[in-house]
Amino acid sequence: MRITAGLDVGSTYTKAVIVDEYGAMIGRAIAPTGFRLTEVATATLAAALGETGRTANDVAYVVATGSGRHQASFADIQVTDLTAAARGVTKLFPNTRTILDVGGQTMKATRLTPDARVHSFRLNDKCAAGTGAFLEKTARYMGYSTEEIGPLVDTSKGSTSISGVCAVFAESEVINHLSQGVAPADIMHGAIVSLVGRSVQLMKRVKLEPEFTLIGGILRFEAMGRVVREALKADVNVPEGDLVQYVSAYGAGLLAQRRLDVLGSSGAAKATA
Amino acid sequence: MSAIRVFPEWRGKDLDGMLHAVVELLDDTEFPTVKRWREAGGKVVGHFQVYFPEEIAHAAGMLPFKMRGAPIEPKHADSHFGSYLCSILKTSLELVVSKRVELELFVTHPICDAARNLAAVFGRNFPYPCQILYLPQNATSPAARTYLAGEYARVRDLCGEIAGVTVTDEALRNSIAVFNRNRELLRKLYAIKRETPWQVAMHEAYALVAVGGLMPREEHNELLEAVLPLLETRERKKHDRVRVVFEGGFCEQPPFELIRAIGRSCYVVDDDLLIGLRWILEDLPVTGDPLDALAWGYLERSSYSPVQHDPRKQKEDMLLKRVRESNASAVILAAAKMCEPGLEEQVAYVHALDEAKLPYFVTEFEENMTSYDTLEIQLETFVENLLFV
Repeated sequence: MRITAGLDVGSTYTKAVIVDEYGAMIGRAIAPTGFRLTEVATATLAAALGETGRTANDVAYVVATGSGRHQASFADIQVTDLTAAARGVTKLFPNTRTILDVGGQTMKATRLTPDARVHSFRLNDKCAAGTGAFLEKTARYMGYSTEEIGPLVDTSKGSTSISGVCAVFAESEVINHLSQGVAPADIMHGAIVSLVGRSVQLMKRVKLEPEFTLIGGILRFEAMGRVVREALKADVNVPEGDLVQYVSAYGAGLLAQRRLDVLGSSGAAKATA
Repeated sequence: MSAIRVFPEWRGKDLDGMLHAVVELLDDTEFPTVKRWREAGGKVVGHFQVYFPEEIAHAAGMLPFKMRGAPIEPKHADSHFGSYLCSILKTSLELVVSKRVELELFVTHPICDAARNLAAVFGRNFPYPCQILYLPQNATSPAARTYLAGEYARVRDLCGEIAGVTVTDEALRNSIAVFNRNRELLRKLYAIKRETPWQVAMHEAYALVAVGGLMPREEHNELLEAVLPLLETRERKKHDRVRVVFEGGFCEQPPFELIRAIGRSCYVVDDDLLIGLRWILEDLPVTGDPLDALAWGYLERSSYSPVQHDPRKQKEDMLLKRVRESNASAVILAAAKMCEPGLEEQVAYVHALDEAKLPYFVTEFEENMTSYDTLEIQLETFVENLLFV
């Protein structure tokens, strides 16, 4: 059976997915990206292959995506997160027209054509505002880890307004709220509401259309999807469980299968060294 | 023949070392090779984009220095030009006002209103001759060749006067031979880009061409003679990328980092970057009247650009020819901000590409831009839409 690999070398985590010729995800792995990107990409791919009992030689085509995609130079091609996410999302939710991808360092809104191509997109500015890093820093100021964000927000009884979405200046605002006796859960909830406000603005700039699908590591926190639904006054798709982190890698693996189909039908051989 | 050598950094190195030295030289906004040339007693002709018959300056023993702007802040030059003008005018003047480079002669061409006025702006600021070379506007006139040879004779005499020599026909023929060799080597470089684009990155090929405007052409020939055989045998992974033509680099140059970014997304198999250094397409005769040979080459054996108007070379037809001959499947149509000739030509290009059903990506750039992320993602998304139909 022909298998392909999708690698998402993200700013925080690297994800690898193995896809079979029917488009099924048959193996996956995740690891912190760190700063040795080529090594972690190779190791994560090997870990995903380990789940399938296949070896690197069995992989017919590798597509790399994510901010560190060019460091995975062993891949056959590098593609943007936008194209990879578009393919992964429309496999899971075929009627998707707008994607919001909130990662550790980036936020992207993409509008798709009916045939799942990228029609237009907007990215966040070059700062941590509106990204996962903003939530992480807010949690850290209050003494919580990233993994505690979800359970913390679940205990919130209401959100406290966080006006400054700058990850640096938010610290003084958080300290101010804490000194006034505001519950950390409500502050965290407020940070999510603030982040969602920026997200929705970004979606509006691509002329958002339903269906909406949310992806990215931040969607691990259930509150994020709930607040987006409230802000959009519409339902949104969110891949289940940790699949939300693998969507771009999965899309990259699907693109690899598609590329082999195109090359095969055109009679062209796969590029080789 | 020039015996002066100004760029020792590449010698004795392996391919990566040579390419690194070339990129470092191109990055250096202090133009060390031009300074070394002057320190050795040489004189410099600064010629503005797009085309200048460098053979004439070479035959007079001068260094033809290609003025293509630079990624520098035009602190002084900003006060000489309106904000509505393109960047290359300002940074080219800034290079000289700031004494990064010093000249004995400046030559510009009436390629656009702004460039036509450069000679006057330079002339008010520097004591040396600042001239306009009037290339023929009507390339098909029976008088064009004779007229152009006459213009070249004027430049020859001016160069001779400044250099303190009589520029003989023999010296001109020798220079033509040196430049013929250079043209041959540049054609080979572009053949590698076209046939095995994974062997040479877009920014590497660009740097190899561009440094030709910074050193004696004999030295550039030596560099290319060393590099090209190594490029041909270089072991590089062939990626699955779209083959594209880049159009829009005839005058102001895209920032080097942007060129690098474009090369990451696709294989640029042909382009018009620094087309003035590759304007003459074939070897010129090294017998007979050398100025007539140069004029003939300019008119009859030349490439195309938005600033030369020749009804035999309709730009959109020439672009389609370039796409066909390089087996490209898409085009990047770029233009420098505020560049009227470049932006105007985009209209005709777009119509022609639409008719030919060739996909294209339209963008603008400025030599001093510093953020390429969005443009790079837009371009990548464009090529991905082609790859994953």
